[in-house]
Amino acid sequence: MAKVLIPTPLRQYAGKHDSVELTGSTVGEVLTALTARHPDLRQQLYNSEGKLRSFVNVYLNDEDIRYLEKDATPVKDGDTVSIVPSIAGGSVAAPPEPAVALSSQALTKDEILRYSRHLIMPEVGTEGQLKLKAAKVLLVGTGGLGAPLGLYLAAAGVGRIGLVDFDVVDFTNLQRQVIHGTSDVGRKKLDSASDRMHEINPFVRIDKHEVALSSENALDILRDYDIVVDGTDNFPTRYLVNDACVLLGKPNVYGSIFRFEGQATVFAYEGGPCYRCLYPEPPPPGLVPSCAEGGVLGILPGTIGLIQATETVKLILGIGEPLVGRLLLYDALAMRFRELKLRRNPECPVCGDHPTVTKLIDYQQFCGIPQPHPEVSMTDDAGDIDPTDVKAKIDRGDNFVLIDVREPHEYQICSIPAAKLIPLGQLPQHLDELDRDIEIVAHCKSGMRSAKAVGLLKEAGFRARNMKGGILAWSDKVDPSVPKY
Amino acid sequence: MIRIEADAWREMVAHAQAIYPNECCGAMLGAIEDGEKTVRIAWPLENAYNGARGSRYELRPEDLLRADREARGRNLDLVGIYHSHPDCDAYFSETDLKNSCPWYSFVVLSIRGGAFHHANSWLPDAEQTKAEREELTY
Repeated sequence: MAKVLIPTPLRQYAGKHDSVELTGSTVGEVLTALTARHPDLRQQLYNSEGKLRSFVNVYLNDEDIRYLEKDATPVKDGDTVSIVPSIAGGSVAAPPEPAVALSSQALTKDEILRYSRHLIMPEVGTEGQLKLKAAKVLLVGTGGLGAPLGLYLAAAGVGRIGLVDFDVVDFTNLQRQVIHGTSDVGRKKLDSASDRMHEINPFVRIDKHEVALSSENALDILRDYDIVVDGTDNFPTRYLVNDACVLLGKPNVYGSIFRFEGQATVFAYEGGPCYRCLYPEPPPPGLVPSCAEGGVLGILPGTIGLIQATETVKLILGIGEPLVGRLLLYDALAMRFRELKLRRNPECPVCGDHPTVTKLIDYQQFCGIPQPHPEVSMTDDAGDIDPTDVKAKIDRGDNFVLIDVREPHEYQICSIPAAKLIPLGQLPQHLDELDRDIEIVAHCKSGMRSAKAVGLLKEAGFRARNMKGGILAWSDKVDPSVPKY
Repeated sequence: MIRIEADAWREMVAHAQAIYPNECCGAMLGAIEDGEKTVRIAWPLENAYNGARGSRYELRPEDLLRADREARGRNLDLVGIYHSHPDCDAYFSETDLKNSCPWYSFVVLSIRGGAFHHANSWLPDAEQTKAEREELTY
C-alpha cells in the first residue's frame, strides 16, 4: 500500500480526503488506481491527450519520478506519493491589455467603492465609468500642464494613460509641477509622475514613453490612444502634435500658458478647427518667450491643465458641450474668462479641403529654429568667453566692462558684483554711456539675451563678447553661492 | 476571495522589500472555509530561477512539498503562492500565466523603489490561458 497525498484544492475531487491509500507496484499503477477511485481527479491531473498536465510533478517520497523511472518507478509498501505543482513566473512579458482592467465590461467591488461619487451621478454612472476605464489618453509632457492632468485623470479612472517626457525633475519645476515632489528632484519625470499617479489610483495603466516626440515617432506613439492632450511648451512640438492628431483623426486637447494668462481649446475634433487654422505660421523664433524666460505664475498651469482635464473627461463620457470651435482665454490678474470663436479654415494646409501637408514635416525648420550647423549659428561662438576667464579678468584688474542685460527683478535675485545692469531693452538708449575703446563683456541668465546684446553692440562699433552660459554658468563654475533660478 | 492576516501580510511585504530589486516568492499557508481563503502564515521560499532574478522567479517543487508538509503538520493547508514584481505593477504576466497552476491563489506584490506599492491576487485557469482577479484583503 502506498499513500498518495492530495493537495488541498484537489480534495474536493477526492472525496475530501487529504490522503488516499492505494495499491500498485509502480507509480503509474498507483496513479491509475487513484483516478479510477476518484474519476474527477483525472481532469485536474491529465490534459485532453491523457498526459500529466505540464505543471504537475509527481514525487515518490522526496524524489521527482522524472529522475527515477518515471511511471515505472517501483513503489514499496509505506511509500508516499505526492502531487506537487511546478510554479514559476515573473514580471517579464506584461499582459497586452491592462491586467487590472481584465474586464472593461464590469467594475470590481474596489472600483465601485472608489468611483462611488461618479457612479451616483446619472450623467456618469456605471456606463460612464466603464467608458473612462476603457479610455486611452496620451499626455504630451509631464510639466506644468501635465501635472494636474496626470493627477486628476488618474484619479478619475481613465484606464490607460500614456506619458511622453524625457526630462528630469529639477528644483525650478516644483513651483508649479505638483505631480513631482522635493524628493523627486533628479528623477525622471516619467518615473516620478507615474509613481504619484499609481499612488492615487493603482487601477490605472500607465505607459511611459521616454522620448522627445518627433516626426519619426509621433504617429506610432499617438496611434494607440483615443485622445491626445498637449501640455508642451514649445512651438515645434505643438505643430507636430497638431498635425499628427489631424492626420490620425484624434482630438487634440490644447492648452498653453504664459505669465498670468492661458488658453485652452479642443483642436482636430470632427469638423472643428486645428491649431494651424488659428496660427497658420509659427511666430519668429525668440518673439514669444518660454516660461523659462518669461516666467509663469505657478498656479496658472493648474487652472489651464484642469480645463484640459475637464474637456478630456467630457469627450470620453460624451456629455456636455465640448470646447470645440471656441478658444478660451483666461486672465488670472483680471480673473476673467473670454471666448474667441474659431472656425476650421477650408484653406488650412493640414485640415483644409485640399491639404498640402499630408505627412509630418521637419518642425524645427518650420519654426525657424536654427539647426546645429556652423554657418548658420546665431552667435559667433568664437567671441564667447567662459565665466572662469571673466573671473580671471576681474581678478587681474583688466580694463573691461561687464554688463548684465537682464531685468532689474532678476538682478535682485542674484548678480555678479562687478556687473553693471543695463536691461537688453534699454541698451540702445545707454550706448553713449559706454566707452568704445574698452572691451565689453555681456551676460544674462543663460547667454541668449546677452548674445543679442553683443550683436547690437558690435553693430554699434563696440568690442563686445558674450559670457557663455550666463549667470547660471557663473554659479556652476565660479561662485556656487550665487543662486540659480 | 482571499484574506491575508496581518502577521502573514507583514511577513510577505517585508520579504518582498528585503529581496528587492529581485523577485521574491513564497507559499501561503492557511485555511479554506466556504470558498474563502484565509492566510495565516507566509512561508518565504528561495527564488531558484537560474538567471536574472529581477524579473523572474521559480519555486523548487521540493520546497513546495516541504511547505505543504509544514502546512499539514500545523493542521493548515497550502492555499497560495506569492511573489513580487519589482518596479512594475501587480499584473499576472504571460510568464506568470504559462508557469502557473490553477489550484492556488497567486498573490503578486508590486514593489516600487524598494517599498510596497499595491497587490493583486490571481486565479489562473487549468489551460494557462487566462487569470481572473480574486478579491484580496489584507
